Amino acid sequence: MDIVFRAITLFLFVWLVTRAVGRRELSTLQPFDLILLIVLGDLIQQGVTQNDFSVTGAMLAGGTFALMTVLLSWLGFRFTRLQPILEGDPVIIVERGKPVERNLRRNRITLEEVAAQARIQQGIAHIDDVEWAVLETSGQISFIKKAA
Amino acid sequence: MADLPDHLTLRHNRDREGAWDLKVRRVAAGIVLAIVLLGAINVFGQRPTTSNASAPPASLEVYAPTRARAGLYYMARFTIRAREDVAKATLVLDPGWAEAITINTIEPSPIGEGSDNGRLVLELGHIPAGQKYVLYMHLQINPTNVGHRSQDVELRDGDTVLARVDRTITLFP
Repeated sequence: MDIVFRAITLFLFVWLVTRAVGRRELSTLQPFDLILLIVLGDLIQQGVTQNDFSVTGAMLAGGTFALMTVLLSWLGFRFTRLQPILEGDPVIIVERGKPVERNLRRNRITLEEVAAQARIQQGIAHIDDVEWAVLETSGQISFIKKAA
Repeated sequence: MADLPDHLTLRHNRDREGAWDLKVRRVAAGIVLAIVLLGAINVFGQRPTTSNASAPPASLEVYAPTRARAGLYYMARFTIRAREDVAKATLVLDPGWAEAITINTIEPSPIGEGSDNGRLVLELGHIPAGQKYVLYMHLQINPTNVGHRSQDVELRDGDTVLARVDRTITLFP
């Protein structure tokens, strides 16, 4: 029984950590971030299953995590007002070629990073050519080019 | 000039007016920080603490954590300093020392063990005046053991209580 409660507690803690860390760090997956995520997963696993090596234990823990994921997703879908709390909001970071400094700062994104993403994703050479850049809830940056 | 993408507004998505996600992020960061800070100041254990009790014939010192987390290994050290001859030194431990806690080893092994109304009795034998006797217990808390448990310790000479240390251990999940 307690494995289910441990899994629920740690699921909520992981959710809290991901909300605290910020979407950008979790989506870019630089080598350090990737290692950090793997280490975090390992630490969490020990807390959930502890000395339980049974198949039943793994099914209980895995099942609880899956159900909690579905529950959060359903809550966000059913109660749209909860979505900003559960997943965050899209944030405009470039408006008509001009960076929105305050939003960049709050999300710890440099203009160089935005420029690099613009080049990688859409082949945009200059930020001036971007009509809108939006930091999505997934942590990805979407770009809309200025009309030619 | 391209319009603002669907479902986005300047007020909400650029100026962040009435935006909850930033507040949620700050609260989440605050909670995570609080948990880490509480851990750093030993709220969740397992830094050992020392408890003492003294009487003219002998003193008893217990060195063990009073807060710990489920699944942890830890050590408890019992130090008896005899000022006078203690013919039949005996330690009597509350059940909280063994309830859902695995006792891996007790060194040196007591010369006798028993039960006194549900409490563990460890007979240590004779401790000459001026001598020190140190008993080590190595324990592991069972992963499902959570809550408060009394871990009082009594030092006896035969049936006579010489000293008593009152302790409680708090076990976090």
